[in-house]
Amino acid sequence: MSIESAPLPTTEGTPAARRSVLVPLRALTMLLLRNQATRGRLVALAALGAVGVLVGAIVTDNSTLDATVAGTRFVNLYGLSLLTPVVALVFGAGALGDLVDDRSLVYLWLPPVPRWVIALAAWIATLIVCSPFTVGVSVLMAAATGGGAELIVGTLWASLLGLVAYSGLFTALGLRFRRALVWGFAYLLIWENFVAQAGDGAARLSILSYLRSVLSAYTGAGLELADRDLTLSFVVPMVVGLLGVAYTARRLHTTDVD
Amino acid sequence: MSAQAPPPPPPPPPPAPSLVAADTVVHVDRVSKWFSGVVAVSEVSFAVSPGVTAVLGPNGAGKSTLLRLLCGLTAPSQGTVRIFGADPRIDATARGRIGLVPQQETMFDTHTPVAFVRLAAVLHGVAGPEATARRCLGIVELDPDDSRRIATYSKGMRQRVKVAASLVHDPAILVLDEPLTGLDPRQRRHMIDLFHRLGDEGRCVLVSSHVLDEVERFGSRVLVLAKGRLAATGDFRAIRDLMDDRPHRIQIVTDQPAVLAGALLGAGSVSGVRLISDDTVHIETTDVTRLRTLVATAAVDCGVHLREFAPLDDDLDSVFRYLVGGR
Repeated sequence: MSIESAPLPTTEGTPAARRSVLVPLRALTMLLLRNQATRGRLVALAALGAVGVLVGAIVTDNSTLDATVAGTRFVNLYGLSLLTPVVALVFGAGALGDLVDDRSLVYLWLPPVPRWVIALAAWIATLIVCSPFTVGVSVLMAAATGGGAELIVGTLWASLLGLVAYSGLFTALGLRFRRALVWGFAYLLIWENFVAQAGDGAARLSILSYLRSVLSAYTGAGLELADRDLTLSFVVPMVVGLLGVAYTARRLHTTDVD
Repeated sequence: MSAQAPPPPPPPPPPAPSLVAADTVVHVDRVSKWFSGVVAVSEVSFAVSPGVTAVLGPNGAGKSTLLRLLCGLTAPSQGTVRIFGADPRIDATARGRIGLVPQQETMFDTHTPVAFVRLAAVLHGVAGPEATARRCLGIVELDPDDSRRIATYSKGMRQRVKVAASLVHDPAILVLDEPLTGLDPRQRRHMIDLFHRLGDEGRCVLVSSHVLDEVERFGSRVLVLAKGRLAATGDFRAIRDLMDDRPHRIQIVTDQPAVLAGALLGAGSVSGVRLISDDTVHIETTDVTRLRTLVATAAVDCGVHLREFAPLDDDLDSVFRYLVGGR
């Protein structure tokens, strides 16, 4: 088609931006999912999960503890403290952070799409891409330990809540900092696994303590700093996730776009 | 005591003469932008109406920053930017009337061209995004049925995909940052024709470039940026004349530079001569065309063998240095 003969788009029949946000939400989610799921990331995180399942089976086989207690401790140590936050960090930080780094955010930022739709799409995409590597693998790990149905259900809820919280948090982090992975690992290592272990006050500000509380409540196995109220343990991670989305939307309003 | 009617209110003062023309689409008023102490754009003011306007300047002049300011991608450190009277930084509706071709090559490389353009249509809320995407790809002479990913496309093809994506919502303002980069001569001509057509249809088309000859073909209106400042604005031909009237330095390589220099000084049109080496002389003139004739004549008359005739300062940087001289 030549330039001379091709009709340009006209305003008739093409205004619309007032249509349902579901259409751009779906399109953005699909785009971000595709962007996040690079082969390198998928392979590395699948390997991390496979190691967890394998080690879970070996460790509990050789343990002198009750299978549920041993399984609970292993899920807490590997699934909740390592796998869930690390996977959420790798994908969440890249959801919008990758677009900032390669300067393609402009294609999402300029059209008249509400900022919260972009933030929500990034969160949903992170939830979807992370689910198999966090919830799926953690449940497999729990099953491999032979800890029983309580452990599997507790693991399911705890890893799901962890995914919700960490995805929101790290999506926001990816937009806020250029070196989001470094900041995220610093948070996980220094705060969640060091400062928060120091006492109850600091543990209240640790997502991990709420996840442990959920797991512990289902299995009955005691875990350190896992004595939060069960309702609160469900609510706090969800609030953290939503606050992350809200902050991301706010940040999109004020950020400079290349 | 009798009732007295209140004095009639004074007539309203006549409206102040507006500096903004009635058909102004883009209005930039004393805009500056700096990043961490580095000034990218300084005290720039202009207004743009429908039609094609070229933004000309050497690399690092502040063109891309200025275009980003126009699109609301970054906020001015000082001054105001208005698109149809609204601030594009905060007004999504105003922003939605802009079509942008950014300078960066980055796109969503795993997409096919039609998927990329369709995404733009969806985000702009265009009805029938698939049909629109296909139509816009046709406008830039790309095959909508091409199933290859954008990652496999050449630079020029990627540019055309970006142009197609910028057209999906029939924007009133098109902001094109170096859109001809990577295009072959035929595609350049087609794109320039397209931009003219869009401008003629009443859209405001802003095109940036650092190539003088390219800008000449965009149209007569031009904004010249240099070192973040607006160095000149107005008709391109007037600016071109200004550029041509400046002193030029020409390097001539010959077997007898002193003989040639003497002959040229005697013939006029030469304001300065400097012998550089045994075979090189630099000539300063304001009339390069006449100098060419003089050199050829002098070479024949004096039996001088010419090896090179090269302008030393025809690059854009020196042109802009001249334009902003004394600022």
